[in-house]
Amino acid sequence: MIPIIKFVVRNSNYVSWSSSSVTANGAKVLWPSTLTVSFCTNNNDSEKKPSVKKTSKAMKAYLERARKHEEFIKKENLEYQIGKRHLANMMGEDPEFFTQEDVNKAIEYLFPSGLFEPKARPFMKPPEEVYPPQKAAEFDEAGRPYHFLFYTGKANFYKLLYEVVENINNLNKYEDRMIRKHLTPDPTQAMSMIGSQWLPQDVLEHRLVEPLHESQYAAFKLAFDRLVSHPYSYRVRDFIEEYRKPLVNQVALQQIPEPQYDENGRPYVTTTNCLRKRSWAEVTVRGAGSGKISINGQGLDYFAEIQSREQILFPLIMTKQLKNVDVEAKVIGGGPSGQAGAIRWGIAFCLRSFVDKEMIEQMRLAGLLTRDYRKPERKKPGQAGKRKKFTWKKR
Amino acid sequence: MTLFILRSLGSRARTAISEFSYERSRRSRLSTKPNVREEGLKSETDIETYLDPLKHPDYFKVHELFTISDLFEARVHYGHKIGSLNEYMKPYIFGSRQDHLIFDLDITARHLRQALNFTAHIAYQGGIILFISRNAQMAHTVETTALDCKEFAHTRYWRGGIFTNSQCIFGATTRLPDLCIFLNTLNNILTQHTAVVEAAKMNIPSVGIVDTNCNPLLLTYPVPGNDDTPCAIELYCKLFKEAILRGKEHRQKDIDQ
Repeated sequence: MIPIIKFVVRNSNYVSWSSSSVTANGAKVLWPSTLTVSFCTNNNDSEKKPSVKKTSKAMKAYLERARKHEEFIKKENLEYQIGKRHLANMMGEDPEFFTQEDVNKAIEYLFPSGLFEPKARPFMKPPEEVYPPQKAAEFDEAGRPYHFLFYTGKANFYKLLYEVVENINNLNKYEDRMIRKHLTPDPTQAMSMIGSQWLPQDVLEHRLVEPLHESQYAAFKLAFDRLVSHPYSYRVRDFIEEYRKPLVNQVALQQIPEPQYDENGRPYVTTTNCLRKRSWAEVTVRGAGSGKISINGQGLDYFAEIQSREQILFPLIMTKQLKNVDVEAKVIGGGPSGQAGAIRWGIAFCLRSFVDKEMIEQMRLAGLLTRDYRKPERKKPGQAGKRKKFTWKKR
Repeated sequence: MTLFILRSLGSRARTAISEFSYERSRRSRLSTKPNVREEGLKSETDIETYLDPLKHPDYFKVHELFTISDLFEARVHYGHKIGSLNEYMKPYIFGSRQDHLIFDLDITARHLRQALNFTAHIAYQGGIILFISRNAQMAHTVETTALDCKEFAHTRYWRGGIFTNSQCIFGATTRLPDLCIFLNTLNNILTQHTAVVEAAKMNIPSVGIVDTNCNPLLLTYPVPGNDDTPCAIELYCKLFKEAILRGKEHRQKDIDQ
């Protein structure tokens, strides 16, 4: 039986309360009785002034915990900064320009670890990266939450959605004004979504300090897609880009080595560790050549099969460098197919230094620059081979 | 005409309606002025009671915030069809027109004044006010209203137990709202919003706009009216915001003194 609280409306037009009505002291709210908000009016000395704020023990404990965490992080940060300077002095580097990468290298040098798992090895990082972010105190001493969406449970996330809608509404108003002036959106400023993606769920969760359900993440993407699809979305570019992660162009990142020069002044590039199946190869491509190919001292006839020979020639033919370069290859292990594949990859990788960006992109699209990491699968006990099973007998 | 409506609504409704003061004259019923009967000052002690916010009939003058013609223009009197009428909403209905129910705006105005007065008093006492709505179209408006008057809003999916199991939901002992204002009491699947029941369980007073298909019983201050039209909801938001701001203004003044 759900208790129905009805305030008695008497004949006069103002509200009065029976003595058994709600008072915060009597009510079973989780906010305990030390909060002195009272609605009793039958006593003559009813308060004319608004009531005074008081804090409960539970509230004090919560605020204390939040304060302690903040102090802890501050202390850890201080220790980290001091430790970084000590480390720089130990390594003989300038403490002012000692970056996190230098710190990592120094720790690796001073504390060599034989452990396999990188996460298990000793590290030194700023406390923000080590300790999970915690929300600061979410309400003040009177118990009043700071955030207007506190009671939803995911204040930061829903505030974000609110801001998206706010932006859409503002852009709509702006668009109306522009239409009245017979103006159109600037096509040169239009936002391009190519080359970037929305912040992944875990990163978003870390930023908002709130766990998100899949449906909520989907709602986030939907809202932002809607915002971006507005013709004037470029006006809120900064806001959108905060939640956008650029997709890194791996090929652009790679540093193509400059060719070195030998005694004759000929440019050359060497690639070692060319691996394919069980083969290992080391390939040197020399520029200003005439198309000589030597594999382990022999020519192309090192390979008996035509397919292996074609594999080796393909990158040279595609880049039209067949008559321009000399190839020297050293290869051990594996069979003809593996060795040919290793040398082919080596040649393509070296040719990047002799060829322009467009051709490199074409080579990448052709799959010449992709490392084939497939290794032969092992034979398993209880089976005849990798996948082949022994004869199945019904009985 | 009223007799015809009374007859059509049934005997239980008739007694309910008679409770809600039909002794006013026909002229006063048709007038658009808010019907606040202020008692004349009879003695010295009356002055004291008028200075006390809790004894004053309308300390924050919420009756000035709106008129019945404002309600009419904001389409507050539109209800749903007769088929979806909730039995307990019958006292608030004026009649129907082409199967669509019409609220009696005099009754609505009276309830709205009581609700606004109560809201202002809660704000005056420094209470936490939570706006709740499940209307997706007006969610942004409701949240903006809450932000403007520095109160709180919840226009999202209601996780069961926010009030009744708050220790688990929020991880720590939290102070619950002192008032819940429902801009619509039904959720998207047209069942009653869980928060109505939770607020009643936790003794949290609730103010709610109840449409013809809503159940007003669990609300402390039901306000019969349209909860679907955007202009009506905007009017309610504006009125509640005004009432809260007035309450807070008085609070600040009294604290400063």
